Amino acid sequence: MERIVGIDLGTTNSLIAFIDEDTPRVIPDPQTGDPLLPSVVAFLADGCTLVGQPAKELVTEQPLTTIQSVKRFMGLGMEHVTGDDHRRYRFADSQGIVRFTVHGRQYTPPEISALILCSLRERAEAYLQESIHKVVITVPAYFNDSQRQATKDAGKLAGLEVIRLLNEPTAASLAYGLDKKEEGLIAVYDLGGGTFDISILRLHTGIFEVLSTNGDTRLGGDDIDQRLAERFLLAGLPEALQHDPRVLSSAQQTAEAAKRALSTAEGTRLVLDIPDQGVHISHTLTRREMEDAIADIIARTLAPCHQALKDAGLSPRDIEAVVLVGGATRMPLVRQRVGEFFGRTPLADLNPDEVVALGAAVQADTLSGRRRDMLLLDVVPLSLGIETMGGVMSRLIERNTTIPASVKEMFTTAVDDQTAVDVHVLQGERELAQDCRSLARFKIPIEPQPAGVPRVEVTFLVDANGILNVTATDLRTGRERSVEVKPSYGLTDREIERLLEESIDFAEEDVTRRLLIEARTEADTMLHATEKALRHHASLLAEGEEIPLLAAVQALQEARAGEDYNHIRDLIDALSEATTPFAQRIMDTSIQEALGQKRLSEL
Amino acid sequence: MNHPDTVRCWRCSHEHPPALFCPACQAIQVLPSQIDYFRVLGIPRRPVVNEAELTRRYYDLSRRLHPDLYQTGTAEEKEASLKNTALLNRAYRTLRDLPERGQYWLELQGERLGKDNNRVPAELADLVFEVQEKLAEVREARVAGKDTAVQTELEQIRADLNEQLASLRRALAKNLAQWESDRQAPELLRNLKNLLSEIAYLRTLSRDVEKESEIQWNV
Repeated sequence: MERIVGIDLGTTNSLIAFIDEDTPRVIPDPQTGDPLLPSVVAFLADGCTLVGQPAKELVTEQPLTTIQSVKRFMGLGMEHVTGDDHRRYRFADSQGIVRFTVHGRQYTPPEISALILCSLRERAEAYLQESIHKVVITVPAYFNDSQRQATKDAGKLAGLEVIRLLNEPTAASLAYGLDKKEEGLIAVYDLGGGTFDISILRLHTGIFEVLSTNGDTRLGGDDIDQRLAERFLLAGLPEALQHDPRVLSSAQQTAEAAKRALSTAEGTRLVLDIPDQGVHISHTLTRREMEDAIADIIARTLAPCHQALKDAGLSPRDIEAVVLVGGATRMPLVRQRVGEFFGRTPLADLNPDEVVALGAAVQADTLSGRRRDMLLLDVVPLSLGIETMGGVMSRLIERNTTIPASVKEMFTTAVDDQTAVDVHVLQGERELAQDCRSLARFKIPIEPQPAGVPRVEVTFLVDANGILNVTATDLRTGRERSVEVKPSYGLTDREIERLLEESIDFAEEDVTRRLLIEARTEADTMLHATEKALRHHASLLAEGEEIPLLAAVQALQEARAGEDYNHIRDLIDALSEATTPFAQRIMDTSIQEALGQKRLSEL
Repeated sequence: MNHPDTVRCWRCSHEHPPALFCPACQAIQVLPSQIDYFRVLGIPRRPVVNEAELTRRYYDLSRRLHPDLYQTGTAEEKEASLKNTALLNRAYRTLRDLPERGQYWLELQGERLGKDNNRVPAELADLVFEVQEKLAEVREARVAGKDTAVQTELEQIRADLNEQLASLRRALAKNLAQWESDRQAPELLRNLKNLLSEIAYLRTLSRDVEKESEIQWNV
């Protein structure tokens, strides 16, 4: 049975977990022992990439080429990119899918996420001593179809088979349910680095049934850091400095550290020190001041809670347990507000940073066929529909419908001999198509017939990953017709293929480059030693030895200037061979000198 | 709603009446998509259902059909699991909701709600007019910045609508219960249709009101 591991691909941190004899366990970094991998990717000038802590350390030094919180951009178009984002990063286009420009190359969010996934995979492979191919990746419950698809694409680009996308709050409930054998109605409040989810579940004899979910995919701890940075650090600086990427990223890091400290301490010092920019700010921040500054951000999480309860037909008092997930729920203010809303003290006995990854490992165990005692019944977070006459959104699958869910729609033609019908798929709760998210467009091919005669049945199926699949059947011929769906904010299948091919090429190129660098370094060492020996021990050269030796030196120097590492290695060997007798003599002499002019044979 | 009398198992070719699992080899089967929801859930085909039993059947079947349990299975098993679970979910969603079930029951009898479903049902004209007027007032009050007044108004409208909906649902439940003994009475059918269009109309109206209150806390 092939192992499937669970991955929490987070905005701020990512984790990988597996089942160790029936107990889910997070795999730590082999060097530092840290279970969290910061979701940060740094692109270096020499073409190498760093992921995790080493990348995070470069954030303030090279902010434009170090990408943080890439999850916030998954499945989005350039029109969703904010002014702050533009100050922080360089983007390639003004429309279409988001593409970061780094060192003259373009990267989509799934490509950057793939680098994080690769790093997690390496961590797991080193720990488990086996190769990993299959994964469960968690996503915010409120992620729409494009964001889910982008996450799946990231997995593909990392060379992984994504067996399931699992909603984060649901994953957390699994980890809790496993622990407590809970029954009844629970609410999972998940405030992460960049996203907020609320899910209401009914737990009943091993079935975890999601009744409703709601949230905000652009609300999280990052917003709190940004608010604190703006209010307490940047406000006093000149305008130009406020928009400086280095100042911005330093301020954000300082703010984040202060926020963490204030979860336990009543006060902390905020220090922002960038001497070469003439920035020096230092003052005390109390927990009370921080809470006043961010109260409205926390309040924004309550509207989705209210809506989720309403959709489930429940009131706050019906909830029997409230579970807190995500690092931001460590803040006392969050606990207080959530407690007030539901009228009960929330549970936080499991580590809020790890609980999602642990739940993903539990679900991976079920999917691998090892475990059959628990079952998740999850829902689609947002209504799905199509654009109809007059730009109206016609809902086909209502939000909070249990997945997998399918619906069939009949299509026909409006004019004679029409050869295709255009379908525009939307997601959202608004009445007008223009106010909903455009997911995709596709054409149903139709054989020329008088208007109204063709009958094509289109099946919209939302699978267990919450991703939409479309198939069309011509009812006259009974033939299934394939529809090529053009995602509005995603990569096409062809683009993914191209990126995969490129990444293989790049991987080869990376290896080649590394081997070349190593060969050159070795050549330098060899040339340096030979040159030194010739300078200091020219008297030890035998008759006729100097010319071939100098020729070998010159040949290696020429090879070193080239790109062929194999050739460099060959000539290193050649020079090494040519200098062996000479080197031997030098060695002998040095030893003789050291031993008081005794000959080797006398020892 | 016709479906074939017998189907052939994809694995062992055994011919059997449509079922979730082949009686011979136990392999999961794709149910014909025209099969009725009562059969999917294995409960009596009656307009009144025992809700506890319905939920129990739904959970039991989910535990046997869900795609999570067929992840390591063959392509045929995966497809059957996916399609059947989608069908099971739709069946459960329809049958557990009283108006949805009523409408589905009508469809099973070969009846449909008329095209004039969007017209204001005569019995509701007064209420609809009142609600629309109040909603207009609410919007005006919001523009004028009288937020607390808006809140009270909305609460009142919501309460009125919910009360009306609840009484319609009671009438619907009563009518559906009568259907069992008095199968084809044309008057019962007409009543059922009227009730269902009234409920459908009120639900839409109620949605408008909810939207208005959502704007409240989204600000």
